[in-house]
Amino acid sequence: MPTIKKDTKNKIVVDYEGKLSFKDRTIRKFKASNTWVKIGINVCRFILMLGVSFIIIYPFISRIASSFMTKEDVVDSTVSLIPKNFTMDTYKYLFTENHYAEAFLHTVILSLLCAFVQTFVACLVGYGLAKFKFKGNKLVMGAVIVTLVIPHSALKISMLQHFSHFDIFRVLSWDYAGLLQLFSGKSIELTNTYWPFAILSICGLAFKNGLYIYLMRQFFKGVPDELEESAYVDGSGVFRTFLQIIIPLSVPMMITIFLFSFSWQWTDEFYTSMFFKSTALKQIYMMPDVYKDVPLSLRTNYAGASLYYSVIKNTAGLMIIAPLIVVYLFCQRYLVQGIERSGLVG
Amino acid sequence: MAAKTKHASLDKRKARSGYFFVLPFVIGIVAIYLPILIDSILFSLNNFDYQHLREGSLPSLNWNDFECFRKAFQNTSFMSALWESLQNLLFQVPAILIFSLFIAVVLNQKMLGRAVFRAIYFVPVIIATGLMDSINAQDVMTAMNEASTTVATTATAGGSELLSAMDLMELIDTLPIGSGLVEFVVRLINSVFDIVNYSGVQMLIFLAGLQSISPAIYEACQIEGATAWETFWKVTFPMISPMILVNAFYTIIDSFTRNNSAVMLFISNNVEDYSQQTAMSWIFFLIVFLILAVIGGIMSTFIFYQRRD
Repeated sequence: MPTIKKDTKNKIVVDYEGKLSFKDRTIRKFKASNTWVKIGINVCRFILMLGVSFIIIYPFISRIASSFMTKEDVVDSTVSLIPKNFTMDTYKYLFTENHYAEAFLHTVILSLLCAFVQTFVACLVGYGLAKFKFKGNKLVMGAVIVTLVIPHSALKISMLQHFSHFDIFRVLSWDYAGLLQLFSGKSIELTNTYWPFAILSICGLAFKNGLYIYLMRQFFKGVPDELEESAYVDGSGVFRTFLQIIIPLSVPMMITIFLFSFSWQWTDEFYTSMFFKSTALKQIYMMPDVYKDVPLSLRTNYAGASLYYSVIKNTAGLMIIAPLIVVYLFCQRYLVQGIERSGLVG
Repeated sequence: MAAKTKHASLDKRKARSGYFFVLPFVIGIVAIYLPILIDSILFSLNNFDYQHLREGSLPSLNWNDFECFRKAFQNTSFMSALWESLQNLLFQVPAILIFSLFIAVVLNQKMLGRAVFRAIYFVPVIIATGLMDSINAQDVMTAMNEASTTVATTATAGGSELLSAMDLMELIDTLPIGSGLVEFVVRLINSVFDIVNYSGVQMLIFLAGLQSISPAIYEACQIEGATAWETFWKVTFPMISPMILVNAFYTIIDSFTRNNSAVMLFISNNVEDYSQQTAMSWIFFLIVFLILAVIGGIMSTFIFYQRRD
């Protein structure tokens, strides 16, 4: 039993009869708090996470390693990760002969254009859907989901048809008793320009835009209404409130959406190969074109050629995603932050 | 009374300004999306001359009496591709959901090197969509033509052969478990690379959901003496259940809009006729839509919403 003694006027001292030494106390504490179990769990968790990280990173490592190999190394079964004959030729010829610089420039322009427009439009539409209870709100939300669900490959031909003979008045490309020809003036060919992307982005119909609108809507649902109400009381209009209060508030989420749309547009192949036709007089090279063909200087009659070509294509893939990785390294903390603060519920 | 009417009109005016926010999308739907959609359906239901279409002339309606759809159902290789895709879908969706929820829970805990792990785990979100897949899809075709050596796996296939499936098969075959389960596990391990790479967005969504659970609930659990296991099943799981539905939908949609699913590959590589392509895409879409409806119906009975509005 501990005894309590009065030391001074305002202080007491507790004295244990069988007071343990510091060493004994530490040992008992250690045993009681099952530290070993905790350490074990932590170590297991760490190893598991490390293992899964390895699965993610390993393909990149092996691709980077094989990108420096010569064609002899590729088929040499004694070479696994470290090339015997180190070469930069693959990069050199991919860069010079597959229009890498040109493709890079065009893709930067396209991706930035799409990302900015899509982020803003998703923000706008998401805000409208989350905060205003107008008639048909549910209907518009349903339409967003529909655009997300219907695969664009089912729409490929009609989409191409619409944009290669774009005419806002000619609604359908079918002639119903010649009626529509009354309206249709001259149609414009929009393929091989950035216009199809711009139009689709402005309307929030481009690749995965339904997802962006949905995420934005969920985010704005979590923003308290009182914030806007106080702005209205202070005499701010709806649009001013949106621009001066809501937009600054949603910057982390907007960065997330921006990152999504930038990088998904960057690696997109479906739309770029559809709208930028290789049969055009002056072909506009986009990033996916870099990997399509093997550079002339690297073509070979070698026995293991197909294997070597696949290495070249993977190297081209690496070159395509390299700028994205740089962007990601700078933006990744915003990605997680934006999502964490989004308060997604249901 | 007067004040009340004024208040109502203000509300109405505010609601009406919502139209301006959704205007770009509504215009897009009416002027671009719906025409494209209707056109696409008409393409699959009518005979038309693609050459005419390319020149920009208006083709006339030429009803083909569901010919493309009937052809699609008679095409055995299409049906087998369809079947394979659906099997893959039903196999991958639970695997991706379980994996991404697990990783999200772990990434949400405090641990050594959490920031680094998070950075690595979200790499697939940025990169894995489409491009690398289609490069590798081409690789698989070329590799099939050639008797590939072990280098093929190190150079191209990456992590898909981390563990020799045969060893594992032998190990599990000796155990008294049904062969169906063995098949499932082997398949799981062989496609671990796909699963990890396709669960990036799902992880992000789960992480966001986990972050939005109030810490006060966990505190209460701790005070009441709940174990970590109980806390997960009684608190985290119900609270995250809406996210499970969202992620299930996202996974399904993502897996069939991806270009490298068996059906999509079949449609783009083996079918020449454009009407036929469109019709097959629509068949696939309708089947997946049915699956979505069934899964949504089943899951919505289990979902717990903290607040209903």
